[in-house]
Amino acid sequence: MTATGQPVALSTKALVAGYERDLPIVRGVDFSIRSGELVIVLGPNGAGKSTFVKAVAGLVPIHSGATFLGDRDITSVPAHEKIRHGLAFVPQTENIFATLSINDNLLLAANILPKEKRSRRIADLYAMFPDLASRPSLRAGQLSGGQRQMLAVARALIVEPSVLILDEPSAGLSPKIVSEVFSKLKAINETGVTIILVEQNVKAALAIADRAVILVEGLLRHEGPAATLADDPIVAELYLGARHQSKAVAS
Amino acid sequence: MSVELIGYGAFFLTMALTYAIICLGLNVQWGQTGLFNVGIAGFVAIGAYVSAILTTPDTANRFGGFDLPIAVGWLGAALAAGIIAFLIGWLTIRLRSDYLAIATFGVAVAVQLCALNLERLTGGPFGIGFIPRPFASLAGDPLAFSLLNLGVLVVVVLVLYLALERLVRSPWGRVLRAIREDETAALALGKSAVRFRLQAFAIGGGIMGLAGAAQAHFIGFIAPENYLPMLTFQVWAMLIVGGSGNNRGAILGAVLVWGIWAASAAAVSAIFPPDQQARAAALQIVMIGVALCAILLLRPRGILGEVRVVSRHLGRLSPLKRATSIPQNNEPQHVQKP
Amino acid sequence: MNPQAIMDGLITGSMIGLGAIGVTLTYSILRFANFAHGEFISWGAYFALAISGALGSLSGAFLAPIGPFSFGWSLPLATVLAVALTGGLALLVDALLFGRLRAQRGAVIIMVMASFGAALTLRSLLEFIFTSKPAYFSKALQIAMPLGGGLRATPDQLLSLGIAVLLVVAVHLLLTRTAIGRSMRAVSENQQLAGVVGIDVRKVIRTVWVLGAGLACVAGVMAGLLVQIRPYMGFDLLLPLFAAAILGGIGSVPGAMLAGLIVGLTEAFAVQLIGAEWRAAIAFVILVAVLLLRPQGLFGRPE
Repeated sequence: MTATGQPVALSTKALVAGYERDLPIVRGVDFSIRSGELVIVLGPNGAGKSTFVKAVAGLVPIHSGATFLGDRDITSVPAHEKIRHGLAFVPQTENIFATLSINDNLLLAANILPKEKRSRRIADLYAMFPDLASRPSLRAGQLSGGQRQMLAVARALIVEPSVLILDEPSAGLSPKIVSEVFSKLKAINETGVTIILVEQNVKAALAIADRAVILVEGLLRHEGPAATLADDPIVAELYLGARHQSKAVAS
Repeated sequence: MSVELIGYGAFFLTMALTYAIICLGLNVQWGQTGLFNVGIAGFVAIGAYVSAILTTPDTANRFGGFDLPIAVGWLGAALAAGIIAFLIGWLTIRLRSDYLAIATFGVAVAVQLCALNLERLTGGPFGIGFIPRPFASLAGDPLAFSLLNLGVLVVVVLVLYLALERLVRSPWGRVLRAIREDETAALALGKSAVRFRLQAFAIGGGIMGLAGAAQAHFIGFIAPENYLPMLTFQVWAMLIVGGSGNNRGAILGAVLVWGIWAASAAAVSAIFPPDQQARAAALQIVMIGVALCAILLLRPRGILGEVRVVSRHLGRLSPLKRATSIPQNNEPQHVQKP
Repeated sequence: MNPQAIMDGLITGSMIGLGAIGVTLTYSILRFANFAHGEFISWGAYFALAISGALGSLSGAFLAPIGPFSFGWSLPLATVLAVALTGGLALLVDALLFGRLRAQRGAVIIMVMASFGAALTLRSLLEFIFTSKPAYFSKALQIAMPLGGGLRATPDQLLSLGIAVLLVVAVHLLLTRTAIGRSMRAVSENQQLAGVVGIDVRKVIRTVWVLGAGLACVAGVMAGLLVQIRPYMGFDLLLPLFAAAILGGIGSVPGAMLAGLIVGLTEAFAVQLIGAEWRAAIAFVILVAVLLLRPQGLFGRPE
């Protein structure tokens, strides 16, 4: 889906964030995504990709800078209110309530909707994810890895968010399941949901993305259309080179 | 200076030093290892009763009265309390941190109950009297007697302090610190991390038992009411005021808090009429309780504590954990650089 | 075995169970063992005592016994108000102490220690206000009615049992069937994800305090009605509460109630065998046995 000319769905201005005040992990990121776009955030290990999206979602303290959802400044909106403004987040691990049933997971998310809309939205999501619909009372902890991701995505979509952020949905999944998850995400994106995707699985992610941005050491270093990035040797060099470098630093 | 004043000073200091020993024991458990003991009164009582039973002269209607030397009593006290601490630790240290707290609380309740009900062993509510006091032959000269007693406790505290300082700096102490400060190290050590914690908990319990024995022999009389949860609370206040993780702080905190306690108790009995004194004593506890909570809120590292040592303990994150996890309830806000 | 022990055990057990529900909820949602929970039992009883006393002095009509029971309308009215006040007390303690420690992200064990300090403070405050002399809701003596099979119970005892059963069913339904209950279970599993899903965690925490303290207050009123009211009544129940919460499995409401009954019945039977003076040790023995054999409790998940 082409998004040129669409309004900006989400943006950050000089965002600095991290768990500790004297140790920012995200060090001044200007980022924006247009409505309907699917953008992947790439970068070597420890580049701050995950911290960046968590800061946007309100899970990591923001030291300075700002985040906007459309025109609304959501920098200081608490995490649990962000979903009410239409920003949904799927964490990388532990992204479902394993001790609750599938249906209870969805009901929890539907709780912020008006009463009359809840059951209709849950039915919509069951239609979109037939795997989940067959066993609504199953404890979510008993689902397979791929089904868990689907439940996490379904849970996030219940409230019809304008922007959906996913932190490495492919982590720990087999290649076959990854392509299933990604094609589902693409289908969701085509219904008009703006998606930001943090990924290590560069090839699969570039195949579905409109655009990619590359974070290195907490800064946005490169961006461009996904189609050209996939074959860009300079980007590959930068990406891989930085990865080796960061490994050396870490060890 | 009058003889009475010196006598009272010696009495006060001797008492304070027995608390200092308990504090040193708690410091091994909490300050060095991060193990939370809510049953201090129980371990102190075990020590006191064991030593009393071993050293008192034979008494009709009561088991014990072995008339053994005081040193044997003290050793037995430390050993008995250490063994109980070991057993409770073995049961709970591998579980959640607050299960140990609950279990030690249970020990205090159970010991209190035994002291009250095992009359043939403990004398029941009346307790055990005629516990031999060191230098009893000098009792005719109160000044020399109390100064010598003080001397004994000064020596005990000093020896214990030096031994613990050595222990902290020994390889054993270093491993303990590593486990406490670094989640990854603790995980890597696995089972042996549990063993090190267990050893520390048993040693701390043994020291508390020794303190109980010292206290019993200094006062010459013990009863169950000496070992109420209030005692646990006082010792905690002492260690927190002094700054946990710091042996000198533990001793200083004991003297300071005991001083405040003794002074406020004296004030209560001087100001309030006899029929209101029980109520006033309750208010005294309220004030100490509020003070403890306030210290936890405002200066969790203690008033005199070495910030460096204690803050490490209060929850330093390992670099690994810091990078991969999201702050949760049990993680600290302030992380001090070593 | 004396069948009367069954009735005694059920009565004590239901009080322990009501208290243990609060312990298990605070433990699973706020993640620490609250040593101050017993004080909500005592404060609840004294709140009810003070209010029913005030109502009684307003009008003697409040004191006329209702039907077969030993108390007048002053007690049920006072209990409703006392539940609200005890909930308010829990919120106050949270605002002054626990909430601030949470904001500082202190270690779990600091919370435990603070709860220990709060417990001593609250208990001594009661001792200061009401002295340690035992008090009673009613001086009237009740005749125990035979229930068959050698069992006897007073109307007050039967009413207390009935109310305990009703409350447990209500709390269980609240947790499993309502939105706030689902939110509570979600927060207990993963606080951060709960926030992401749109749950206001602070609201859930407030609910847990009010619910736990309210149930503790009811347990306190029951204990006051059937036994007596003393500043130490909550403290004496603390070990049985912890034993029941752990035996039932942390986080499980039916588990806490069932385990409360088990602890109560075991106490009652053991007392017959070894004497009433050892009552307090039974909970410790149960606690040790659970930690030894099944630390996750009857209905708990292994960690």
